[in-house]
Amino acid sequence: MLEQIPAAELRYVGKRTPRIDAKEKLTGQATYVSDMVLSGMLYARVKTSPHARARIVSINTEKARKLPGVRAVVIGEELDYRVGLYVVDKAILARNEVRHYGEAVAAVAADSIEIAQKAVDLIDVEYEVLKPVLHPLDALKDDAPLVHPNLGEYDYMEAAFTPKPGTNIANHTKLRKGDVEKAFEEAEWTIEREYTNPSVQHVPMETHVAIVKWGYDDEVTIWSSAQSPFTLRNLFCTAFRLPHRNVRVIVPHVGGGFGGKAGIGIEPLVAVLSKKAGGAPVKLTATREQEFSLLPCRSQLTYRIKTGVSKDGKILGQKMTMYWDSGAYADYAVNVTRASGYSAGGPYEIPNAQVDAYTIYTNKPFGTAYRGFGHVEFHWGLERHMDLIARAIGMDPLEFRKRNALREGSTSLTGEKIRANTGSILKCLEAAESAVGYGTLTEAEKARQEKTGMKIGKAVVGLHKAPAMPPFTATAVILRMNEDSTVTATLSLTDYGQGTYTSIAQMIAERLGFPIQKVKIAFESDTDHDPYDWQTVASKGLLLSGNAAILAAEDLLKNAYEIAAQALRCQVVDLDHDAEKIFIRHHPESSVTFRQLAIGYCYPNGNSIGGPLIGVGRYIAQGLTHLDKDTGQGLPALDWTYGAHGMIVEVDEHTGEYNVLKVASVFDVGKVINPDAVRGQAIGGMLQGLGTATCEGYIYDQEGHLLNPSFTDNKIPTAKDLPLEVESISVETPQIDGPYGARGVGEHSMIAVAAALGNALQNATGAQITHMPLRFEDVWRAIQRREPVDNWITKSPYGSCRSAPEVQRHQQQEC
Amino acid sequence: MTHEFSYHAPGSLDEALALLSEYGEKAAVLSGGTDLLVNIRAGLSRPEYVIDIKKIPELKALSYDPEDGLHIGACVTVNELLEYEPIAESFAVLYAAGAELATHQLRHRATPVGNIVTASPCGDMSSPLLCLEAEVVIVSQNSTRRVALREFITGVKTTVLAPTEIVKEIFVPPTYAGAQAGYQKLKRIKGHDLGVVAVALVKHNGSFRIGINSAAPTPLLLPDFAAGTPVEEVQKAAAKAISPIDDVRCTKEYRAFMVGVYIERLMKEVGA
Amino acid sequence: MKRVQFTINGDLYEREIHEHRTLLHVLREEIGLTGTKEGCGAGECGACTIIMNGVPINACLVLAVEADGTEIETVEGESKSGRLSPVQEAFDRHHAVQCGFCTPGMLMTIKDLLQRYPKPSREQIIEGIEGNFCRCTGYEQIIEAVLDATGQLEEKGEIKHA
Repeated sequence: MLEQIPAAELRYVGKRTPRIDAKEKLTGQATYVSDMVLSGMLYARVKTSPHARARIVSINTEKARKLPGVRAVVIGEELDYRVGLYVVDKAILARNEVRHYGEAVAAVAADSIEIAQKAVDLIDVEYEVLKPVLHPLDALKDDAPLVHPNLGEYDYMEAAFTPKPGTNIANHTKLRKGDVEKAFEEAEWTIEREYTNPSVQHVPMETHVAIVKWGYDDEVTIWSSAQSPFTLRNLFCTAFRLPHRNVRVIVPHVGGGFGGKAGIGIEPLVAVLSKKAGGAPVKLTATREQEFSLLPCRSQLTYRIKTGVSKDGKILGQKMTMYWDSGAYADYAVNVTRASGYSAGGPYEIPNAQVDAYTIYTNKPFGTAYRGFGHVEFHWGLERHMDLIARAIGMDPLEFRKRNALREGSTSLTGEKIRANTGSILKCLEAAESAVGYGTLTEAEKARQEKTGMKIGKAVVGLHKAPAMPPFTATAVILRMNEDSTVTATLSLTDYGQGTYTSIAQMIAERLGFPIQKVKIAFESDTDHDPYDWQTVASKGLLLSGNAAILAAEDLLKNAYEIAAQALRCQVVDLDHDAEKIFIRHHPESSVTFRQLAIGYCYPNGNSIGGPLIGVGRYIAQGLTHLDKDTGQGLPALDWTYGAHGMIVEVDEHTGEYNVLKVASVFDVGKVINPDAVRGQAIGGMLQGLGTATCEGYIYDQEGHLLNPSFTDNKIPTAKDLPLEVESISVETPQIDGPYGARGVGEHSMIAVAAALGNALQNATGAQITHMPLRFEDVWRAIQRREPVDNWITKSPYGSCRSAPEVQRHQQQEC
Repeated sequence: MTHEFSYHAPGSLDEALALLSEYGEKAAVLSGGTDLLVNIRAGLSRPEYVIDIKKIPELKALSYDPEDGLHIGACVTVNELLEYEPIAESFAVLYAAGAELATHQLRHRATPVGNIVTASPCGDMSSPLLCLEAEVVIVSQNSTRRVALREFITGVKTTVLAPTEIVKEIFVPPTYAGAQAGYQKLKRIKGHDLGVVAVALVKHNGSFRIGINSAAPTPLLLPDFAAGTPVEEVQKAAAKAISPIDDVRCTKEYRAFMVGVYIERLMKEVGA
Repeated sequence: MKRVQFTINGDLYEREIHEHRTLLHVLREEIGLTGTKEGCGAGECGACTIIMNGVPINACLVLAVEADGTEIETVEGESKSGRLSPVQEAFDRHHAVQCGFCTPGMLMTIKDLLQRYPKPSREQIIEGIEGNFCRCTGYEQIIEAVLDATGQLEEKGEIKHA
């Protein structure tokens, strides 16, 4: 489809190019919603629930309403709206019952933040505290309280999800390939283990913030720190039963998102405050503490894997059961479940497979999209499992991976044929292997061990992910030529830090043959002015919007050529162009400049033709299908990005303290468009992955109170937590339908980092850890073979740290 | 801050004490603000009056004399302490602990006195100052009293300080000046963190002493050990003295274990 | 309300301010210098780092009234001449910016660092920026930018191809 320029002639694609937004951000001039003040703007604060589950007996807002300067007070009872991405299960403010700690129960808009807070403090809420259900496996029990007794009445996306009324199951994703029971019978070994992850928080540096103005005649304008303006608008309009034309969403610079700002968040609440305050704009900025529990997190996962392996180390069959803790609302968790379900086996060939992935409601802050969309979580289990299998059968873990790696001709879990151009997991594994010197210790490393008394361990893990998106995911780019022949592109894929806009500018410059200085990507996204894009998620932006941008550039050129052909009295086929002009190939002196064409060509006598030059590029994912609800078969994947991490750690066997000495991250990105951007994604995502591996995670007490909703007790990595050495390596197997062969890599860097750490620690010390994070204490306990500490959900019958080793070969054998 | 209060910045200690005597529990004393303002923001503290004592010149005093000892005024910041040459030279344990306290930015505001007055079990300055037998100089309108640090902190975030009193300074006697010392702190990340557990060791005149943070409701000082005391014996004494708890930061088991580990490391490092 | 006066990036400002408001709040909402960001409001993240009387501090933990009479430097002062500072230029070259929200605070921390150590080692840089969270970059390109700005980077961080 897309005419490609030979690699040798590329001027911008693949070349170091500064970010187009860097100067604005470096000077402090970039505007974020948190920086915005509108005239007449009110400030909002929220009253949140101190209980995980409680009946709201009464809410008294009288004192709050009487406070001078208070312009609106809202409670759930007066709001008959329901919001939901895939399952429409959430009220704007809790009605009758609160379902998680930190849930919003009332809100105030006032002249100042101080008055708003004072009013919130004056609202009295009487609760009848109910017993919460906290662990997903408890929530599956027959006598478990129902988080949503009315689940059967909710709307949901029927093509993809299956809520089970009368239970806490929000979705059950099923996949069946071959005959897994028969495979287990034929297997030499079967190995079964369970792996767990706690919930974690995205921690964008800019917390969620929105300004909403509910104007006359229900004309609503929303400024939000959001990733997906069109999805936000769509969900908003659905919830409020408003025509899409009435609602305008504007997204300026966004201070990070990582999936946490992918859907809809606080906007409906701010909107009802504005409406009630007579249309004054209202601003709500989540506090850092609210970011942990008012806003969503990443779901907890319990992952049980049973694998049958042949005598020669080939995986014959695998049964994968995922218990995704949705928290109180389904949000993205149901789709995390679906996407993880269809790629649950990782980048390995599994001829016989069974996946049952459940999304389970509990009384905890709800889960949403987070960089990796389930893959960080399940790769923790899967890539630990690969090592444990290899150990159990006496094979080197990397050799075991290579033997089972997907390759040309393999079939994925959903029945997709893997082709040569799909990418190469083998090359990624091999590059990581050599980057960390897997399997041996160098002389320097041996000397270091001697000196420090610590043991060095190494590991290599593999990973894969495809964009989790509907088969009809689409986008568009509009490219307008300005009077001076510079061009401005508008699109509503957002760039909230990942750098996609710079890559798109490079591609447009490349395709137009213009210097990149002539290309502007309009930063602010605006649903009134920009063409549609589904969402900025899933590492699909570069591929889909990149293709649309190239098509827009081609369309603009085509339109310019047509006018130029008339102006020069020639055929379009005889034309060529450079950065300034279109000319007749065989009479280059006969030319017309882009500047002459930009707003319409004017003949010497004043007659004019053409009009403003515009190029439109539309792109929609090709050939994808819904998955069969019973077998999971179909084609869900736009593209697969394969990757691997190699890691070197040193561990104090006595105390469990460890240092990460090196991480080498390798991804088959198809084609590097911007080397520094790839490197930034690789290292930034790796460190985020290492954060969740080493120190991050929600801690609750037995009543479901979140105990660590702040940076005091939910640490994230600082510069000191960077491994001593980091390396980013790119493999380039061009993606046939990728722009210049590129595929996405935004999420992948975070995936499987934790497993690399767990495996390297085990290789060094024998510590067998199946839960995250891996704090020094956890390593110490594992080395000492002490009972793990289960302080994510205390005293659950299925403690989130427990995992009995279950290995079978003729007789039991410890793995 | 969404909580409103009125701000006073007296220029003299007398003026400050008069304000405190007038407002009593409705007032809070502000120096570095790294605890007070965090607590006000979190709604844990709701003073009507905030008395900023940084404009009082004598509270900025920082002096050391080998005869007289070390005086750390209430408004001396941690970074000022670290940059004061006698600290690195003569009070290694304070230097080591101060450098571990929070971040560079915060150390420009946070004060050693504030760290003590907050009386958190994990205050980095507390166990080192206990080892040095620091005294807290407390003033009120009518009196000045000196309280040994070990008696000053009475429990988790509680002290003997009355609402009308101000800690004027910490006094460290010259007794342990020049002592070899070390400080080790367990953190959840390599970057800035509260001490999950921490141990200070000061070696002096044929004996050594150990202070421990985050292992009991108050920072602890163990009785002196004679040089050459076997590690196991010191560890045993420490194990007996501490009463760590399970919390979101750590289990009591690992806290107790790491106290032992740090004792061993410090004894090796300092050569006790 | 109290009347205060301070110098920001060389310009004198005088304002009547609420006594309980932080310097960060006043800078951003009353003076309109929104370059300095709020990431946590509790002195943990460093996004609000500014330089006050020559030292870097978290503006979220300083009352605006406390800043009366002080000299303040914020990110807006860094390119006041119309040109990026050498550190800003190096940040640009090295993609040391992603979402940009930590960047202003990071730049002010580094400004102070370079006053203390004109040619900081990698370790000194890491130690220096410890108090500034960055959730996007993983810090590596920031460290490289500082090394480059101080003439210490031998090779640019080129991406490797397998």
